[in-house]
Amino acid sequence: MAGPTDQPEHHSLRGAIDRPALLTIRDIVEEMEPLATARLDDYLDPAVLEVTLDDGLGEADSARIDIRWTTRGDYVFHYTDTEGVNLRWGKHPHGGEYRCVDGLEHYHPPPDASSDPDKVQDSCITQSSEALVTRAVLKLWRVAYHTDAYEPLNAGSNPP
Amino acid sequence: MNDQSQPEEFADVNEAVEDEWESETTPYERIRHVIAHAYSPVPADAVADDALTTPKTARKHLNTLAEEGFVETSPGEHGGTLYRRSPESLVVEQAADILEHVTTDELVTRVTEMRERLNEYRTEYGVDSPEELAVERTNQTLAKSGSAGQEIDPETIRDWKTLRRNLAFANAALSIGTAEQFVGEDDHSTDESIPA
Repeated sequence: MAGPTDQPEHHSLRGAIDRPALLTIRDIVEEMEPLATARLDDYLDPAVLEVTLDDGLGEADSARIDIRWTTRGDYVFHYTDTEGVNLRWGKHPHGGEYRCVDGLEHYHPPPDASSDPDKVQDSCITQSSEALVTRAVLKLWRVAYHTDAYEPLNAGSNPP
Repeated sequence: MNDQSQPEEFADVNEAVEDEWESETTPYERIRHVIAHAYSPVPADAVADDALTTPKTARKHLNTLAEEGFVETSPGEHGGTLYRRSPESLVVEQAADILEHVTTDELVTRVTEMRERLNEYRTEYGVDSPEELAVERTNQTLAKSGSAGQEIDPETIRDWKTLRRNLAFANAALSIGTAEQFVGEDDHSTDESIPA
């Protein structure tokens, strides 16, 4: 194993990007989210599934979620909008560098999807299959969209 | 789905999506979904957990899927059976999707371009596979001090693996597409047109 200073090793998704999984995620997104259109960045050799949302949070007119999913089940869902707000749900090894994160699932909070070891949080998403992780992201986005706030994106609940 | 509808209340997003998935799908659909992207062999119990059903139901449907060729089985420990997605069925599925969306001409061009890029990796790093490159990288990390060549980053290894996998799907699509031009055609007319 590499030492703690070799961060790229710890912060990379394991395995190849999984085209079959990206197609499955695309179908789920298009079925469930009326504001979304999803396309592979390259139909034959995709690295990312780009999900365009016809509206954003706050002042943002539109937003995008870039999704990577690997053959080992590691993933990244990166949200960015026209106001320049970024945030990201991820699951991949981080070599214990994210001090507040117990497992592999973590959340880089807005407004800049910070990778500061003290700011990266546990993700509220603990499911592992692409069907359920995708559904969870879409559900959290829906709550955030209706309340027009970023907080619900990692709150994991929608209280009355 | 209605854009105007208020999102329902939920206490835990993980439980909420499980409940929804369970109510919108049958156990068979969930099992098929779970095993579709299980590339390493897993026991039926694990599939059952992920598919929100019982091991008995999982085993039943997995065996049906194995008979259909969607799933491949292998012997596990203690006499159990392990299941994984059949690579053959995955390749055929991806090839069919590609043939549906990409023309043969475009496919030929892209496959050539992807092969070239794959060769560029070999030339640039002087190894034959991303696995070998990963070994090189570990050695480089251990040696540390040395300034031997450029630094190998894990993204390069992943991109190479991804390209190799996607080229395999594209190659399969091209082969199937080409083969389809020459089989299944009714050549009775040709036979009959031959003068006696």
